[in-house]
Amino acid sequence: MGLATRKKVFSIMALCAMVGLLLFPIVMSLPTPASGEEAPAADGAKKEGDKVEKGRDVYYKTEGIVVGAPAPKTTDGPKDYPRYNFESRVLLWFANQQHLYYGSFVLAVPIFCMVIEFMGVVTKDKALAKRYDQLAYDFIKISLTAYSLTAILGGILIFTFLTLYPAFFGYLSSIFRPVMHIYALMFVAESGTLYIYYYGWDKMKEGFLKWIHLSMSVILNVIGTLLMFLANSWIGFMMSPAGVDEQGRFLGNIWHVIHTALWNPLNVHRILGNMAFGGGVVAAYAAYKFLAAKTEEDRAHYDWMGYIAMALGVAFLIPLPFAGYWLMREVYAYRQQMGITLMGGLLAWLFIIQATMIGILFLSTNYYLWQAMGRMRGAEKYQRYIKYLVFLLAVGFLVFITPHTMVMTPAELKAMGGQQHPVLGNYGVMSAKNGGINVIITTTVLSFVWYMRGNKVSTVSWAKFGNIFMGVFFACAYVNIVWLAIYGYYIPANVRVGLSVPQVATTLSCLFFMFALNSVMMKGAKQMGPIEWGKISARSQYALIMLATAFTWMMGLMGYIRSSVRLFWHVNEIMRDNSPWAYTHTVGFAANMISFNVLFFWISILFVFWLGSLAAKKVPVEAKAGVPGSAPQPAGSH
Amino acid sequence: MKALMSVGALVGVIGLLLLVGMIFDVVPSNTVRLVEGYMPMQMITELAIFVGSFAGLSYMLSAMGMGIPRFWQGIAFWAFILLYLKFRVYPPIPFSVRAMYGTVSLVAVFMWMSSNEEDWKKFKQPIMNVMDAQTGMNKLLRYAYLILLPILIGGFSYNAMVPKSEEPIELRTVHPAPPASTKVHGKTYVLQTSQNPYRVNPEGKYDQEYTNANIVEQGMGRLMKPNANPWDQNAQGYLKYVREGGEIFFQNCHFCHGDNLNGRGLHAFAFNPIPANFTDPGTIAQLQETFIFWRVSKGGIGLPNEGFPWASVMPPWEQHLTVDEIWKVILFEYWHTGYYPRTWD
Repeated sequence: MGLATRKKVFSIMALCAMVGLLLFPIVMSLPTPASGEEAPAADGAKKEGDKVEKGRDVYYKTEGIVVGAPAPKTTDGPKDYPRYNFESRVLLWFANQQHLYYGSFVLAVPIFCMVIEFMGVVTKDKALAKRYDQLAYDFIKISLTAYSLTAILGGILIFTFLTLYPAFFGYLSSIFRPVMHIYALMFVAESGTLYIYYYGWDKMKEGFLKWIHLSMSVILNVIGTLLMFLANSWIGFMMSPAGVDEQGRFLGNIWHVIHTALWNPLNVHRILGNMAFGGGVVAAYAAYKFLAAKTEEDRAHYDWMGYIAMALGVAFLIPLPFAGYWLMREVYAYRQQMGITLMGGLLAWLFIIQATMIGILFLSTNYYLWQAMGRMRGAEKYQRYIKYLVFLLAVGFLVFITPHTMVMTPAELKAMGGQQHPVLGNYGVMSAKNGGINVIITTTVLSFVWYMRGNKVSTVSWAKFGNIFMGVFFACAYVNIVWLAIYGYYIPANVRVGLSVPQVATTLSCLFFMFALNSVMMKGAKQMGPIEWGKISARSQYALIMLATAFTWMMGLMGYIRSSVRLFWHVNEIMRDNSPWAYTHTVGFAANMISFNVLFFWISILFVFWLGSLAAKKVPVEAKAGVPGSAPQPAGSH
Repeated sequence: MKALMSVGALVGVIGLLLLVGMIFDVVPSNTVRLVEGYMPMQMITELAIFVGSFAGLSYMLSAMGMGIPRFWQGIAFWAFILLYLKFRVYPPIPFSVRAMYGTVSLVAVFMWMSSNEEDWKKFKQPIMNVMDAQTGMNKLLRYAYLILLPILIGGFSYNAMVPKSEEPIELRTVHPAPPASTKVHGKTYVLQTSQNPYRVNPEGKYDQEYTNANIVEQGMGRLMKPNANPWDQNAQGYLKYVREGGEIFFQNCHFCHGDNLNGRGLHAFAFNPIPANFTDPGTIAQLQETFIFWRVSKGGIGLPNEGFPWASVMPPWEQHLTVDEIWKVILFEYWHTGYYPRTWD
């Protein structure tokens, strides 16, 4: 058997092993949901005649045989709430948040690797293919150290739960016993796959083997995503329990426990959020390296890396508000009081802060794109119109952050004549806010379109018509979004919620149709000059750092909001929190805590990056030579 | 293009003169009125016109060789926004919101000024000139800043720290979170699923669509549909219940919530905060009917602990009204304001 054939066989075997690892936990778990603990209970029931206790599912309303113990009624004391001389909840908050940051990072980065490696495999430009491959390798190298940290932080989290909230954790693990085992097995599968993927990089770099390697990244990401879905089922259960009766007794159907009212929207929202976050972190890494670079080549490389990471992150940021909207809608539909606590009640002001962070994300993205146009010859033609884009973004932002509940002195309240302002009061509700965010996103799409055509002049015969069509399309989109925002005031609230669909459709139409049209128009376009990678202002890199910080901060904030909405419940309406900390923190305390978490994450991730740089792999010579703008830039790269 | 820019410039000058006139009380502040119902869009449209007009003004001045330096353009535009928010919009916007708007505007001005390298250089130039201090004037300015800035920062710090006798600011939650269920007159009502028993069609069955159809214009529901007059003594079914609800409202609620349900009743301004304005799209229009049922039944005293103090003086109406009366008065409130209660189907 020749060397190449042997490698092929080994690669295929490794791939099969990965698929096996992926399926192993599922196969192992198959008997669990099928019989679960239902079977022994049923047997027991037969033996004892008719003494089967049945319960009604709190969410699905189905009847089931009670097979679990009721949720413990905890009391404040060392038995249920052992503690150090410190607020246990804050320790748990810290452990949870750090684990989540790293978990998100190691979920997102392999997906980026997959996308970038794929781009490298399909591109026909060999120099560019090597650059993509090197970039993907750099990413996975970083994620390897972060993966170890994720596992360590996960361990710390479990120990924190066990030591500080034993009664609650005991109850949760009694419900999720099979899921937790599958989770652990999936973690093993993830580790194995990741190591084979990483260490097999050089061995499988060409031809058929490269495709096998790429397939491995797909499996790696499937495992990672499933892991996240399982973890989401726990938080979903805590917010919107199902599969148990009113006393919290498990009714034997594990799928009901997993598939709660909020599980699916949480999954979608989290996967998009993690991707956007991962993109932000990598972009910030590239920005830091750019600012610290000593040579033109390094600057060009990190400028390019920052752009790719930012583009990937923003690609997931754009649908994120819609996924968030869906999640909130489902929360509201599940429990009115949860929806009101979040959007109009106790936590409403945190949503204003969240809106501010979302605004900052989009503003930073737009600003970066405008700065990036500075490294293209020919993009000057758009500069004088930027002020109008600034206006659109600023107005959208102002409406989006207008609070419904205003902070004011009693004198101001009297001067205003009531809690609501006749002008601004209308900005403070969802109809206007939907308009605001859609205007912001549409403007971001417009900035992207301008960036894509920055140094190009279309040569297609219908270019003039195409430009007019695009202009009219965007103008109509703005009119439609604003009109629907106004119309929303004149229809019932449940119909108004439905109006967000045509608004979103308008925004997404701009995204998909205009990107597609622009790509067609720019095919074979005349280039005014190459993209001069590395010739971007330092301000743009600070915008990337701002983007990443805002992502991190917002993630911490939203996690806090989502968890706080349970108020004094460990498991909503099932298990009450009877610790001394069953109250909601003030906005100021929460902001300080989130900031501390963000700071800690960034300091620790700097350590991870530093570790990554210790074993820096030399960039191939031919790849470096092609970087500073001399390599032909495919349309897809900008 | 030039003609367009000239018109823009002219509009800009007139607009600015009007604003300055309003600030100094030379021009009555209601010269260009903010029209009720259109105020939010009017404000944005006015700002858009100003932006366009300023662009025209800048273009014209540059063409005449009197271009305003970038630095001053940015400062002037920001100042304009602050003055516009303070003097144009009435009733006055609370300082906290103006501060938020001011910050966003500052960021927007920065983004505009630094969007490309050339503009950024122009914007920075006066600052760099003072820092470099190559001329006598700049040197003087630099020293002045060196002395004034610490004094200014010290002044702000002192002002922030010094104890004050002013009323404290309040962050009051408008919508308290309701419980999952509430017990009124011995019966438990699940807020997620309960329904108003008087929201019925001519067959006497619960029918939200039918009752909605009796509201002519959302938000301006004072208009009655022909043949849908609840004050008609012969009115039956839904309309009869609306009338009965109205009678209860005018016997009990209008003293605080007002004849027009806008929160400006006879006693309204004796309270702080003043009673809820049901005509505002942010109140009952946002809520399920059962939420209102819970609020009316339990009053201020029944509000949940989280987010305390609520400072609501509304009495728990379950002590004065029957369950049926509470449902009827809610029916009337939605009918009168023209809003529909929130539903999830």
